[in-house]
Amino acid sequence: MSLNRIINSKSFDIGKSLLAFNLRYNGKFVPHPPQYRCFRTQARSLAYAKDLFLGQINKAEVFPYPEIGNEELEELNQFVAPVEKFFNENVDSKKIDEDAKIPSETLDGLKELGLFGMQVPEEYGGLGLSNTMYARLGEITALDGSIAVTLAAHQAIGLKGILIAGTDAQKEKYLPKLASGEHVAAFCLTEPGSGSDAASVTTRATLSEDGTHYLLNGSKMWISNGGFADIMTVFAKTEVVDQEGVKKDKMTAFLVERAFGGITSGLAEDKMGIRGSNTCEVVYDNVPVPLENVIGEVGGGFKVAMNILNSGRFSMGSSGAGMMKKLIEMTAEYATTRKQFNKKLSEFGMIQEKFALMATNAFVMESMAYLTAGMMDRPGVPDCSLEAAIVKVFSSEGSWICVSEALQVLGGLGFTKNYAYERYLRDCRILLIFEGTNEILRMYIALTGMQYAGKILTGKINFTTACLSVADHNVFKTPTVLSSSQDSALKLEQNVYLFGSAVESVLYRYGKSIVDEQLVLKRVADVIINLFAMTAVLSRASRSISIGLRNHDHEVLLANTFCAEAFFKNNYMMTQLQKHAPENNDASIKKIAEQILEKRAYVCAHPLDRTF
Amino acid sequence: MKCARCLLRLQGLGSVVPSARTANRYAYLLQSTTAPVLTKPLVAFNSHGEASRHFHGSSAWAKSSPPSSDLKEKEKEIDKSLLSRDELFERVARNAKTKAAFDKAIEAFTKRDRRRRGHVEFIYAALQKMVEFGVERDLAVYNRLLDVFPKEVFVPRNFIQRMFNHYPRQQECAVQLLEQMENHGIMPNVDTKVLLVQIFGEKSHPMRKYQRLMYWFPRFKHVNPFPVPRLLPSDPVDLARLGLTRIANDLDAKVTVYQMPYTDITETGEEITLPHIVGTQSPDQVELLAKHDPSRPVFVEGPFPLWLRNVCVHYYVLRADPLPPGEKVEEPYDPERSLYYPLELSLELERDMGDLGDDFDVEDLDEGPVFAMCMTGQGDQATLNQWISGLQEANAVLGRVPTLFRLDAGPRELQSPAGESHRPHPPPETDPCVPGDEGGAGPARQEVDVTLEEEPQHSRGVKQ
Repeated sequence: MSLNRIINSKSFDIGKSLLAFNLRYNGKFVPHPPQYRCFRTQARSLAYAKDLFLGQINKAEVFPYPEIGNEELEELNQFVAPVEKFFNENVDSKKIDEDAKIPSETLDGLKELGLFGMQVPEEYGGLGLSNTMYARLGEITALDGSIAVTLAAHQAIGLKGILIAGTDAQKEKYLPKLASGEHVAAFCLTEPGSGSDAASVTTRATLSEDGTHYLLNGSKMWISNGGFADIMTVFAKTEVVDQEGVKKDKMTAFLVERAFGGITSGLAEDKMGIRGSNTCEVVYDNVPVPLENVIGEVGGGFKVAMNILNSGRFSMGSSGAGMMKKLIEMTAEYATTRKQFNKKLSEFGMIQEKFALMATNAFVMESMAYLTAGMMDRPGVPDCSLEAAIVKVFSSEGSWICVSEALQVLGGLGFTKNYAYERYLRDCRILLIFEGTNEILRMYIALTGMQYAGKILTGKINFTTACLSVADHNVFKTPTVLSSSQDSALKLEQNVYLFGSAVESVLYRYGKSIVDEQLVLKRVADVIINLFAMTAVLSRASRSISIGLRNHDHEVLLANTFCAEAFFKNNYMMTQLQKHAPENNDASIKKIAEQILEKRAYVCAHPLDRTF
Repeated sequence: MKCARCLLRLQGLGSVVPSARTANRYAYLLQSTTAPVLTKPLVAFNSHGEASRHFHGSSAWAKSSPPSSDLKEKEKEIDKSLLSRDELFERVARNAKTKAAFDKAIEAFTKRDRRRRGHVEFIYAALQKMVEFGVERDLAVYNRLLDVFPKEVFVPRNFIQRMFNHYPRQQECAVQLLEQMENHGIMPNVDTKVLLVQIFGEKSHPMRKYQRLMYWFPRFKHVNPFPVPRLLPSDPVDLARLGLTRIANDLDAKVTVYQMPYTDITETGEEITLPHIVGTQSPDQVELLAKHDPSRPVFVEGPFPLWLRNVCVHYYVLRADPLPPGEKVEEPYDPERSLYYPLELSLELERDMGDLGDDFDVEDLDEGPVFAMCMTGQGDQATLNQWISGLQEANAVLGRVPTLFRLDAGPRELQSPAGESHRPHPPPETDPCVPGDEGGAGPARQEVDVTLEEEPQHSRGVKQ
């Protein structure tokens, strides 16, 4: 290991001199088969975000920005127009929020529009939308948080299990009714004692004596649509005999119909936001589930659950962007009409800053979401779970900040219920929590990348030096990025190069125990999120320029602004990753937390306290 | 007596300017040996005007010289005042030794004589009596005592006085008073300061002492992160509760009273005393115990001493030996555990040597788990058995695990000043005939001997 270190550290110093060397290996490296056992089961040979961990920009994956064909676009617009109209005219978000219920007419309208089966293939009666188109519709459904969550719980996770791992018989039996909205689906994984820890799932499925069905017992918590879902994807422990003949408890996914009997739903939770969506506890008491309703293999529930969760995230970017665009309109209207000191609000610098922030964030979210969706739509079985997680983290946090800023523009008015801002604020808070909290997703993002980089670093030392010094400053010299954003492209390049070496040094410093260094991982994740965001905006802006899209100069402006800002943030975070960096306060942060948590209270004495 | 006085007088006249210090020293000497005569004149000249200050030593002697005719009378009077220093307190203490009585004594002293003759002796006497009267932790009383000093008399007026130790006896007395406050952990307040300034001036020794106190006391006030309450609960159950929560520094730990102390007389007239049993166990400990291999015994060990201020209580622990290194089973990594991110990376890289942390190299000694602790009024096996059966409610595994009692006779040399009541069990040798206990205690002790033999002695030292 120490030998590796020496070789590697040397390779940084002489990075440039290795250029020719790199080029030689570059070609070799690309088809390099990932012989590691990746966290996701199916891995695609090429992935963009993962390669960033090696300091490599896998240009082919992200340039040019993915497009959809003219026909598809037309088709999409046909869907979009009526949905937009419906949301503008028939959805009363305020009432939904107040009543904590989506009226049945609204739900019927959504069903008629086919929104309950957006990604169900057409042969089963769904719309059969691609990921890109799904993302586009997500922009509109996001205008009402409750509806968006109800729909997402139904199709992004609820029925995804059937789509991903269901048998043809299961698809035939369930999908048509689910696609039409006659049946609503739910995803039941979380339990009172089990959030992300699959080992503590206590719901059990035991094979009946005659071996014809399973009996399901247990309870699930915080189930979206749990109050009225007819079909549920339920995860339960079953006893499985492994190859060595040892009995083990493993998770299995089941398709459970409410009609099987024995299912009771608790009272709907009274939530802070997305109040119209139904969330409740579901209790299973000896629910008979026929054998054919097992999704995937018996004992293979873990993979099913992970695949569903990983695939459901990417659309949050477009949802956030949709919401932001609407908010910008609403807020700009106010800012340009309200006057103070004979000046419009919009003339104040600090207000302007907020709009710039909102626009940049919306732009980045949008770019990332459609880039990821486009990558996912490519033929093959793309593994974009890392990108999807990045999109989720960035867009949830971006939305939260932007909604808050929009509310701030209105001042006190934004705080009242007369305006929608407070509702948006409440609704969008959940984005940071569900589908894997952002903290957990950061761990996922960082660790998945680290695993990939670590494998290559330890396995192929020669390749390592090659790909780490990939600062072959030629990546963007080709006309992929046009001159107006050349600067930003250089910034990205520089960041990626540094990031590669930062990851390497972190890996050599912590090795396996990196898993426990959450603060380090957080920074790694934040940098990679920024890097992916920079890539997305650059790619999008380049495309816009080259095909002459409307207002593409504005896009370039946004892209450059974002890249410049992210560049410095990245540099700062990567400095913090260095050993003994004065910017790094981790030790003190940990100490503070430890002392607080030991006492389970704020430990300082009151400033007015005296000792004499 | 007369001769002594003449001598003094001669001396006083002989040296025109004996410093106040020398005079004082003489006075001190004389006072403590034969003649209390001088106290009065001394005090008298102390209240002289400023102008005469410088030479007051001699002038004082000059003044005190003439009276020899009324000497007897005076002696009588002074005798009375001297007597009173100690007796004042004894007199007031006849009724009750309370703060009120103490205050009364001080008041009596201050009222008796406007000049406060013998106040230094009085204050020394008072300081000694404070503990007796239970006012040693009362700041107001200290301030009142300070108030006994005459004001402004001892304040130095010029640089020479300031340079030398002005009225050392008085200053020393005040320092003594402050030191007693310090020893009892009493922080002076502004009143104290004002008094000291009035009595000794800004830069006197007592003032310095005061400043030092005020420097350190506030800094040390919260130096103990685990403070013991000043007043310990008198109820043994409450005391046990306090002790147990103090040892088991886990906010989740639950203290359970398995048995309240109880005394009853049966029909046959026998008196039955049930000792208190108070135990503590945290959820973590319950979990540990549930995982304990039932084929390995658990031990009840004790008593171990725990000092709470001036009280010593004893506790017992339920523990097991650490697993031998070969039998430790580490939970295997389950890749299908975390739904969101890998809990472990499959990497061949270990942590770099330079990043192992700056921790001190401490040899870890595996001590084995402690599952529960208890305190009881009687440390015999029968009582502790009751504790174990109480624990069994929450820890079913205890029913299957062999429980060995390894009880010491108890450290007899640790006598608790607060009385015998806190001692968990009487030392068996001196008190072998507690009726109900013999059956239990006997075998327990036997067991002790047996187990002690098989258990190497050093392990006992480690386990607290």
